Amino acid sequence: MYRATELPPAPAPARRRTSRGGAPQTFPSSLRVEPLVQGDTSLGKLDDHVRDLSEAKPPRSWYVALVITSLAGLVGLASVGFMIYEGIGTMGNNVPVVWGFLIINFVFWVGIGHAGTLISVILYLFRQKWRNAISRTAEAVTVFAFVCAMMFPAVHVGRPWLPHWLFPYPNERGLWVNFRSPLIWDVFAVVTYFSVSVMFWYLGLIPDFASLRSRVKSRVKRAVFGFMSLGWVGNARQWLHYEKAYLLLAGLTTTLALSVHSIVSMDFASSMVPGWHMTIFPPYFVVGAAFSGFAGVVLVFAFIRTAMRLENYITERHMDLLNKTVLFLSCVMAYAYLMEGFTAWFSSNTFDRYIFANYVFGDQWWAGSLTIFFNCILPQLLWVPRFRRSVPIMVLVSAGVTLGMWLERYTIIVLSLHRDYLPATWGTYLPTPIDFAILLGSVGIFLTLLLLFLRKMPIIATWEVKSDIAHHQAHPSGGLEAEHA
Amino acid sequence: MLEPLFGVLALFPTADDLLKAIPEVKKRGFTKLEAYTPYPVHGIDEALDLPKSKLGVLVFLMASLGAISMFLFEWWTSTVSYPLLTAGKAYNGWPAWVPPMLEGTILVGTFTAALGMLFVFNRLPFFGNPMLRSKAIDRITREKFALVIRPGAGGLDTGGAIAALKAAGGEDIEVVQAPRYSKAGLAWWSKAIGAVGAACVVAGYGTAWVIRTFPTTRPMVEMEDQPRLDAQAADTFFASGRGMQLPPDGTVPRTFMPILAAGPGDGGKALMNPLPVTDSVLERGRTQFDIHCAVCHDRLGTGKAWLDSTYKAQPTDLQSSTVRDASDGYLYWVISRGFASMPAYAADISPDDRWAIIRYVRALQRSQDAPMRDVK
Repeated sequence: MYRATELPPAPAPARRRTSRGGAPQTFPSSLRVEPLVQGDTSLGKLDDHVRDLSEAKPPRSWYVALVITSLAGLVGLASVGFMIYEGIGTMGNNVPVVWGFLIINFVFWVGIGHAGTLISVILYLFRQKWRNAISRTAEAVTVFAFVCAMMFPAVHVGRPWLPHWLFPYPNERGLWVNFRSPLIWDVFAVVTYFSVSVMFWYLGLIPDFASLRSRVKSRVKRAVFGFMSLGWVGNARQWLHYEKAYLLLAGLTTTLALSVHSIVSMDFASSMVPGWHMTIFPPYFVVGAAFSGFAGVVLVFAFIRTAMRLENYITERHMDLLNKTVLFLSCVMAYAYLMEGFTAWFSSNTFDRYIFANYVFGDQWWAGSLTIFFNCILPQLLWVPRFRRSVPIMVLVSAGVTLGMWLERYTIIVLSLHRDYLPATWGTYLPTPIDFAILLGSVGIFLTLLLLFLRKMPIIATWEVKSDIAHHQAHPSGGLEAEHA
Repeated sequence: MLEPLFGVLALFPTADDLLKAIPEVKKRGFTKLEAYTPYPVHGIDEALDLPKSKLGVLVFLMASLGAISMFLFEWWTSTVSYPLLTAGKAYNGWPAWVPPMLEGTILVGTFTAALGMLFVFNRLPFFGNPMLRSKAIDRITREKFALVIRPGAGGLDTGGAIAALKAAGGEDIEVVQAPRYSKAGLAWWSKAIGAVGAACVVAGYGTAWVIRTFPTTRPMVEMEDQPRLDAQAADTFFASGRGMQLPPDGTVPRTFMPILAAGPGDGGKALMNPLPVTDSVLERGRTQFDIHCAVCHDRLGTGKAWLDSTYKAQPTDLQSSTVRDASDGYLYWVISRGFASMPAYAADISPDDRWAIIRYVRALQRSQDAPMRDVK
């Protein structure tokens, strides 16, 4: 797909060649793309690099970062504990804004979590081989973001010690859940997404655990990795079923990835609140989730790519492609915002029109305005090819998008709820320090888990990148790697 | 008993070398081949004539089963087991069941794909694989490509296999032995069952000890713990020392009119039953009688109720001629003021209910001594 945008028109159509047999042939230089692996590398060197990352003593900065993030996480957990002990009143949400920070954070983290699935699954179905090197870490981002996301509805239900009431199970009260409620759809969607993401992640890790089990020094680690690899030996028959399972999972999980944020959006869209009751919400939320997720992944890789010496495997071209995706999704978001405004205007509904104007010109005008700035205007910098490869610019844009997508959820939830149909019920919303502490804590938990993952687990799907390296070695002059997909 | 020889193994530096070697080894008559690679090599399934994976069929069946069972579950809970009316919508409004159905389908489908691949098709986890004991396995998972000639029905010509692999360009040739396994015998099973049993006993007694030793605490008291005075709680704010204040003397609740009869001598003779004899009055009387009276007087009024053996006082037989002959007013007076061991019910039963009870008692009396014309 990217070939069309990346390559100038070919002077002559290149003959396709199959992976086996066929005479080796050269391509016109205009047809060559940057290879997906660079520098002096081989199957064994990649293996060593990934092993060293999980074996060697981490640098001092890693420990400092870990202390800071885990302290932030502890502050957040302590605030959650205080909130449960003292009551929901310690947070800012109250009538009319009954969904405050907790639901904003929930939607935000679920959105961040979409990147992993989209990268590992949808790009896999589209045969985008550049996903291979980044898929593992992106999947980790998904899993950890979901750990954070699931915390919020669990503590928002009012009685967090009864979370099992969310599930339909035979009970002595003879009650069942209400399957007509979007909130119960949400429970099913989020729990399914989390368990499938964890399983997909683990499935990809099995061959890498097999590769690590004999190369780590400590006996304990060897036993753990050996057990986690389930006795994988890389038999061709095993790979046959494995790849089939991977393809089936990719197909099924694509449906899941598109459905989860649609269902989250129905929590809003199926209500009658002005600003929520719109049919555009499901696709709009899915694009927003992908957008914030890709920005989050860019942010992670911008920091670890050089710090962990991954330049040979996560090349500038990877970052370029990720940033192009961010730019594309930013344009789709801008279209969604415009359509939202158009719908409000075209409906001739006073309240819908008022709410939309209120996003940008109301008493909290900064929320809506900054959302549009960060999500639609700032990413336009990425049209410049040089900026797509510049670390400061991509950090600026991705951090802006992450913040902008959080503000978008703030706008949707707070600014819609605080202006209802009845002006008598209008109110304001002011978050409390507890709200901010819980948000900070979720960031801390996410980063703590990510830091541990980065230094303790294989952060690159070596079995996927090894096929790229093998291809690169067979065709060092570069070529159309899509041919080998 | 497994074959002691697992096979003869050779390593190849690249996937292309392996793919070229397979037909050469096959030409020499070795057909039972296995390949081990660090990543999935495309084209190897055709070279080794591996059958296509049937995982898709399994996933399709299980995902369909997931969809159907999720739909039936939602239908059963929403319309049969717990029909809940929301927003005036029909109980069997199936469109709203689609999202959970979709998620259920995907959940079952994906878990079937992953676990079916691991457990059913690949028979993992399997830590007894002879390949795991070979010298080559560490290099296979790293960067090398292995071809293994397995013994057929007639065993394996080891020398010939080594020669064939060498001719095909294989390096580091290794004869992989299969370890001998002995079947788990009676001793092993008795140990295993004994260990599980011992673990159960220890866990059970441990739990019982913890529950007995430490007082049970309720981690969450819901909304019981509130800054308010409960009905019987003491409080220093009022001089009486009570949380709840007593009503002023002479206060009566609404509808609870005090009985105006002068005293025991009067016996309420002047009072008349104000209620008519209707089904609803008798029904109300029966309810109140069963709540307040039947426990001593029996549901038929015979006075032989459940309290007989332990409760020393003898409740009055309401079927007796004394009660039959007593006026409604007198019975009302007894219910209100109490009689012998029977306490006063003026505070517990409203006046209308007392009169309804009396109507019902009269009906009970007639039911136990019905004249022939009633039966007809």
